Amino acid sequence: MKHLTEEELIEHYYSEDLYKAESEAHLQACKHCAQAYDELGKLLSSVHAPEPPARSSGYGAQVWQSIQGSLRPYQPKAKRSYFRWPQLGYAAACLLLLAGAFLTGRIWEHEHTQPSLAGTPQQAKERVVLFVLDNHLDRSERLLVQLNHAGTEEEKVDLPLQAEARQLLTDNRLYRQSIAQANDPLLAAALDHLERVLLEVANSPDELSSGDIARIEKEMNTQGLLFQIRVLRTKASGQETNAQATRKGATI
Amino acid sequence: MGNDDHALIRTVLAGEKDAYGLLVARHSQSVFRVAFRITENEADAEEIVQEAFLRGYRKLESFDARANFRTWIYRIAVNCALDVLNKRKKQVAVPIAEEYDGEQGTVQPADGAAGPDRLLLSQEIEARRQAAMEKLTPTERLAFVLRHMEDRSTEEIATALGIAPNSAKQAVFRAVQKLRQSLAPLWVKS
Repeated sequence: MKHLTEEELIEHYYSEDLYKAESEAHLQACKHCAQAYDELGKLLSSVHAPEPPARSSGYGAQVWQSIQGSLRPYQPKAKRSYFRWPQLGYAAACLLLLAGAFLTGRIWEHEHTQPSLAGTPQQAKERVVLFVLDNHLDRSERLLVQLNHAGTEEEKVDLPLQAEARQLLTDNRLYRQSIAQANDPLLAAALDHLERVLLEVANSPDELSSGDIARIEKEMNTQGLLFQIRVLRTKASGQETNAQATRKGATI
Repeated sequence: MGNDDHALIRTVLAGEKDAYGLLVARHSQSVFRVAFRITENEADAEEIVQEAFLRGYRKLESFDARANFRTWIYRIAVNCALDVLNKRKKQVAVPIAEEYDGEQGTVQPADGAAGPDRLLLSQEIEARRQAAMEKLTPTERLAFVLRHMEDRSTEEIATALGIAPNSAKQAVFRAVQKLRQSLAPLWVKS
């Protein structure tokens, strides 16, 4: 016969044994275990719970008074509202910021792109003058090339240079006056130089000798003037190309 | 009562702090009782009651609406009591010389005698019980009080102490064994 262990006796005493019926039967049959169980029962039954001192009916109120000072009221939970969710608030703020940045960018681009098409009034005027001048400069360049070329020949020059020079002289005066208002010192200087050359050629005797032309060429520095005019024409051509590219970009 | 407790808890969480005062008034007596049984000290028990209700208030948002507030605050009180016992254990080491001498304290009452002798035996048992209880570890003491005096099941003890059921059962066994060793001489000679 297998006796009950102390643990099994304690479990049985507290009615927590899994095999209560078997344990009970064993205790009935086994004097040894029954005696051990009896001693255990006497022991545990002698251990009484200490009686707590009586508390007054106002004890709860006393406890509450002693702790309530250190308690902070709970904050009522806010009703769930889409506008009170902080995450949505942040997202909305970000969207507004993005939209604002986009609109600002569009406005800035609009304000800064439009003038670039037309340019400042000064630039626009300069571009118009260069465009109109292009033809005049082209004719002047050809005249100067002929003049420079004629200056290297020995014989008399029979070229319609003077007639051309007179015609160009009239136009040049008008252009020079216009350019004076356009505030372009380089162009104004070139036209001034050109006017002096044209004046010299136009007021020369009817038949210019190569020596006369060489003198004019030397005194008036027509080679330098030709270079100036070519530079101006290149500049005018470059500005026109840029303006066209800007217009295309803006259109896209 | 349970539903009333839940309504009060909702009121407290809605910002009405004073509603918690009603919960304190309703459950402080039972919390004091278990606290005293565990500590056997009135001042400690009062301290446990206050600490338990303070902790309870601070954890009230985590209270499961399906649970019973009485059981919930009871568990908190048990944990507070465990803290007190642990603190006490560190502060007071029982000197070996003061340990109870079984032979010296043995009382042999007359057969079937009542009156002074029986009273003397009860006092002797109580003195030995108290001495034996002091020798238990905080967990053993708590497990034994909850099992023997509060009539809690092993599962409830395990939940209250936050340990495995088998550990709770073993704690009760060890406590009974220690008490038996301390109190057995009385019964052998009686």
